[in-house]
Amino acid sequence: MEILASSIVAGLLFGMVLALVALGLTIIFGVMDIINFAHGEFLMFGMYTALLTSQALGIDPLLTLPLAALVGFLLGIVCYRGFITYILRGPMIAQLLGTFGLMLLLRNIALLVFGSEDRAVHQGLLVDKSFEMGLGIIVPATKLAGAGLSVVAFIGVWLLMTKTRMGKALTATALNPQGARYMGISTEKMNALAWGIGGASVTVAGALIVNFWPVNPYVGLLFTMIAFAIVALGGFGSVPGAFAAALVVGLITEIPGFWDFLTYTLEMDWMYDVPMTSFKYMWIYVAYFIIMVVRPRGLFGWKH
Amino acid sequence: MALLEVDNLSKDFGGLRANDSISFRLAPGELLGLIGPNGAGKTTLFNCIAGKYPVTSGRIVFDGEDITALRAHEVARRGLARTFQVYTAAGDLTVRENVMVGCFMRTPSRRKAREQADAILTDLKLADTADLFVSELPVAAQKKVTMATALGTRPKLLLLDEVAAGLNPGEIEDIMASIRHINDQMGIAVILIEHVMELVMRTSERLIVLDSGRKIAEGLPEEIARNEQVIKAYLGERYVQEHGGEGM
Amino acid sequence: MEALKNAFDFSDQPRLDLTIAAGVALFLLTFPLLPVSAFALATMIQFFIFSLYGMGWNTIGGYGGQVDLGKAQYVGIGAYTTTILLIRWDIPFWFSMPIGVVLAVTWSFIIGYPLFRLKGHYFAIATIATSLVLKDIFEVWEFVGAARGLEISPIEYTPPDFLRLIFKEDIYYYYVLFVFFLVGILYLNWFRKSRLGYQLRAIKDNEDVARSLGINVHWAKIKTYAIATAYVSVVGSFHACYIKAIEPEDTMSLDISILIALMAMLGGAGSLWGPIIGAGILIPLKSYLKEWLGGVAGLTGMDLILYAVIIMVISAKEPRGVWGIVERVRRRKQT
Repeated sequence: MEILASSIVAGLLFGMVLALVALGLTIIFGVMDIINFAHGEFLMFGMYTALLTSQALGIDPLLTLPLAALVGFLLGIVCYRGFITYILRGPMIAQLLGTFGLMLLLRNIALLVFGSEDRAVHQGLLVDKSFEMGLGIIVPATKLAGAGLSVVAFIGVWLLMTKTRMGKALTATALNPQGARYMGISTEKMNALAWGIGGASVTVAGALIVNFWPVNPYVGLLFTMIAFAIVALGGFGSVPGAFAAALVVGLITEIPGFWDFLTYTLEMDWMYDVPMTSFKYMWIYVAYFIIMVVRPRGLFGWKH
Repeated sequence: MALLEVDNLSKDFGGLRANDSISFRLAPGELLGLIGPNGAGKTTLFNCIAGKYPVTSGRIVFDGEDITALRAHEVARRGLARTFQVYTAAGDLTVRENVMVGCFMRTPSRRKAREQADAILTDLKLADTADLFVSELPVAAQKKVTMATALGTRPKLLLLDEVAAGLNPGEIEDIMASIRHINDQMGIAVILIEHVMELVMRTSERLIVLDSGRKIAEGLPEEIARNEQVIKAYLGERYVQEHGGEGM
Repeated sequence: MEALKNAFDFSDQPRLDLTIAAGVALFLLTFPLLPVSAFALATMIQFFIFSLYGMGWNTIGGYGGQVDLGKAQYVGIGAYTTTILLIRWDIPFWFSMPIGVVLAVTWSFIIGYPLFRLKGHYFAIATIATSLVLKDIFEVWEFVGAARGLEISPIEYTPPDFLRLIFKEDIYYYYVLFVFFLVGILYLNWFRKSRLGYQLRAIKDNEDVARSLGINVHWAKIKTYAIATAYVSVVGSFHACYIKAIEPEDTMSLDISILIALMAMLGGAGSLWGPIIGAGILIPLKSYLKEWLGGVAGLTGMDLILYAVIIMVISAKEPRGVWGIVERVRRRKQT
């Protein structure tokens, strides 16, 4: 029972962090219909930002969140102004390969600057502390804080998108770019803004994740794929959909835990021999594939 | 026996009824005009017959076979070809290659497809454009290429969706000649959606009028021109009251 | 018979292109006889391998316009089939290669059927997902060596072994591959003018119109996907014999899938010579950048940074590739 409960809790907590990872991708997709392969690389830069500033200044990585957001915002805008705007009108394949090029660029800049070794956070207020949640569920404090702050950031961005003038303009552009243009909203500005906000939210997610996940220059791709899956499951462009889908994907990453639970409960010998942990992320792709085929609009989709 | 028999066909989009219990018959080799104001449901009717949309209710029988549930490519293979309103033809293929794509429905051989395509192009007086890219042609010729491509499938019935839209009078004459040639010489039945009244009135043997998804009239061109309901549908209630039903 | 004639029929190509093609073929034929370094020869072999991959991709991706980013899984199926059959049961290349093709094509039908119900971004990401699923499975599957991969030990054979394609010198591989390369071009030349080839171009242009011409769009895509798969699988089999050590991370990674699409796109997707031009530019560039910069201390990743910048510039400035430029110049000259 404990295994089951802690798997569910762990899955949901990780899902909350993943929601923030996917948020930027879904905003960008909603506004300009482009898939960003470099999304996970933004996350990686967020991780390095938090890790290196906290080490240099001797502060807790969680205190570097504003800086990470700033880095992500600027990175997003620079990428948009410097590159994305030129591929927007091209065919889809050029967009995909273009952002793949961006991904390679960012990844290898990281390799050049930071080196290829794994780095992890070893010191901080929350590192190595954990909470008992009852039922024998023990949650590392870093993950709990990560999940909590992710939700706060997610809601913050969501409010920004729905309550402020600027956010409403952004949403309008997503729903009807031409109409928004007639209202005097500059598409170009809105696109850049979407990249800024998208970049900032994912680097913040990176700064949270680095507390419990080591960083290296290659860490991005996994998160890019996870974000793709979440955005597709939630319906491309849908922010609430992304949150719900992220929780689902979070639970999917805990399939090995559920498997263990079933193994112990059913006491089936063959089940012990399945190396389920190795398939941890495969289920995300499988889920993506199946859900896309069965329900092409995503689980909660609103935009075609 | 009728070549095409449409029986109580209805099509809903969400809550909107685009076609409402439409029934009509078409004899082999007949040339039927389908007219009606914008939004009357003409193209929707074509899309239902050709299998692009599944129908909500009703039955379509083509050449003695129920084709209601068939998908677009299956309908095409049974000898029912069509053109599209907006679409012209594949821009990065030459005129001949476009027509060959149609011919490939009946033959896997490239040589035969090419021969057939050339014959059709000659028939429609497009032979001298065979090696040009479609995007290099004027609109009128592009429209004829789509007709030629559809003819490549050797249909028994050809549905033409506004082939004369946006053409000048000389070009319309030319298209009319092509349509008559297809109908008279090749013996292919044609249903024509058209806004250019002159063309429909002069070429069609019989007309069907749609308004707001319903069939409101059917008959010979001269009858339709005098039909008060049709004039109302086109020109509005007030026009009829002011001018009386004096024809179009 | 007609098919064979059509494969050799290049008459629709401008004379200039054919002259250049003949010149390049002659150069490729004599290249190993020139005093060139082993590195140059190895680079040329990579060029052949990736132009063949690119040709395969070009059928579905170029002529068909379906952005397939999952070709690496078929490289893996081909490479693993050949390696496993060779090291476990000593089945030579010429038998294992067709078996690999059958397995790869069967797999392509299984996933192709649901895959082609998707469009646009959804399709592209789904192709990546399927490829990664297969890679993840191979990484834990003990029978195929899991993450360590498999090795063909050349000591057990006596090179030159033409049956198993085990050679000591690269020059043998070069010429075997050269033959594959020529066959690949002929097949692509037949394909693009075949019924399926024309139908595919109609599909790329407008699926509704294609359907109205009696084309079963879904099935045509699946068939073409299988053809693309066969190309990739054959070369995957060859690749295994050539490098003799395969592991999931190398043979089945996303980078390989993307690189395959990139060949065709850089050269010009949907054109006969596109993938060859693309591979001819990109492979030497990549391999020499790595040779010059990859090993320099303090500059790790520099080669890939330049490579990434090139990809970005192409996708921004010339999404139709080198062939797009050629065609634009030609059309301008005509008018």
